[in-house]
Amino acid sequence: MEEIIRVENLHKGFDTLKVLKGIDFTVKRGEIISVIGPSGSGKSTLLRCLNHLEVADKGSISFENNYIAKADATGKAIYKRNKEVIKICSNIGMVFQNFNLFPHKSVLGNIIEAPIMVKGKSKKEAVKSAENLLDKVGLKDKRDSYPYQLSGGQKQRVAIARALAMDPEIMLFDEPTSALDPELIGEVLQVIKNLAEERMTMLIVTHEMNFAREISDRIIFMDDGKIVVDGVPDDIFVNPEHPRIKTFLNKVL
Amino acid sequence: MENLANITLFILQGAVVTLKIYSITIIFSIPLGMLFAMGKLTKIPPLRWILEAYTWVFRGTPLLLQLLFVYFGLPYLGMELSREMAAYVTFVVNYAAYFTEIFRAGIQSVEKGQYEAAKALGMNFRMTMRRIIIPQAIKVILPPTGNEAVTLIKDTALASVIALAEILRNAKSMVSRNASIEGYIIAAILYLIMTFVIINIFKHIEKRFAYYQ
Repeated sequence: MEEIIRVENLHKGFDTLKVLKGIDFTVKRGEIISVIGPSGSGKSTLLRCLNHLEVADKGSISFENNYIAKADATGKAIYKRNKEVIKICSNIGMVFQNFNLFPHKSVLGNIIEAPIMVKGKSKKEAVKSAENLLDKVGLKDKRDSYPYQLSGGQKQRVAIARALAMDPEIMLFDEPTSALDPELIGEVLQVIKNLAEERMTMLIVTHEMNFAREISDRIIFMDDGKIVVDGVPDDIFVNPEHPRIKTFLNKVL
Repeated sequence: MENLANITLFILQGAVVTLKIYSITIIFSIPLGMLFAMGKLTKIPPLRWILEAYTWVFRGTPLLLQLLFVYFGLPYLGMELSREMAAYVTFVVNYAAYFTEIFRAGIQSVEKGQYEAAKALGMNFRMTMRRIIIPQAIKVILPPTGNEAVTLIKDTALASVIALAEILRNAKSMVSRNASIEGYIIAAILYLIMTFVIINIFKHIEKRFAYYQ
């Protein structure tokens, strides 16, 4: 199957702290991949490097065989011009832990903003597809509400609809349920599950182990800035060979 | 009675001068403040240092001193400005310094996540500022801007020290000429009317931004 994302030898540090220490992996179209691992293992940073919210130090990142960043002879990541990077990254949808909805815009306004401003869609067209998306995430009646009037779960569902409105090739989820009250987690996971059924390509950083096991084609286990295991869910949950995975699962399950 | 009408008329002539200083200051210092606030937020160090020094000097010394410096001081350096010009320049530069800080703080009060969400949606920096950041910053900026707008009305009275015939100066000369208090009372009433109007304009604008939290 066609490759959407390829990452090679990715390194990223913040001042003296090295967060990613050489990451290699690929995402194929239609794959659903969960990224798990202890806090501080670099999961979120990895995700944020993919759509240029963080700038990688070393290595290459490519999207549909176009380099966003390419390693030079010394391994240093050389990025394309900012304009091109932004253009490529607009095909990558992202859902944040803290939703990051635009508080001054209504639910509808949040969703139609980028399709109109970035993709140049007409307002009519954007509203129509926004309404379909709201229906899909079960929030049709919240169209004219403002973010402060919504629960966390509703906010996150709007955020998912907002990302989907750009017709992304892949969706990145950065701990989408970590900021939610326990009783609101289910509704957000359900929306992600529905996307999985439509074979939306997804990369999900999560602490919801049962969920990850249930929906993922592959699971990436990260620890200390490296990928320890990249395999099918059973590699992690049924026969965890690696002692670090065992320790981690004992803590979280 | 006729005397009171004359006093009022004379002070009202001062009000024209006051309003002129006021509107010129607002019209020029707000855009300048926006520009300087943007400059302060760039990653160009020399520009930031210059603006840092500028806001420090103009917010750190009395406006009265600045007025005297510009009108009576600069001629010694070969720069002579008319009374009006001296007042306009000083007020604009002084108030722009305050607005710079207000706008900078307002823009910085918008969460980092808002920039990230906009970027993740493919919005470039200009779009992000225009559509996402500035509209949110305005809500934060409005109350302190309203305060400044009210303070400015009263600060225009300082222009009397360079003998500009604004409200206070005219009131003062009426008081000395007639040896009576009416001039001051009329001046006070005029200031109260003007500040009342400004306060209510800002209340109205703030209400328009109250639709979200």
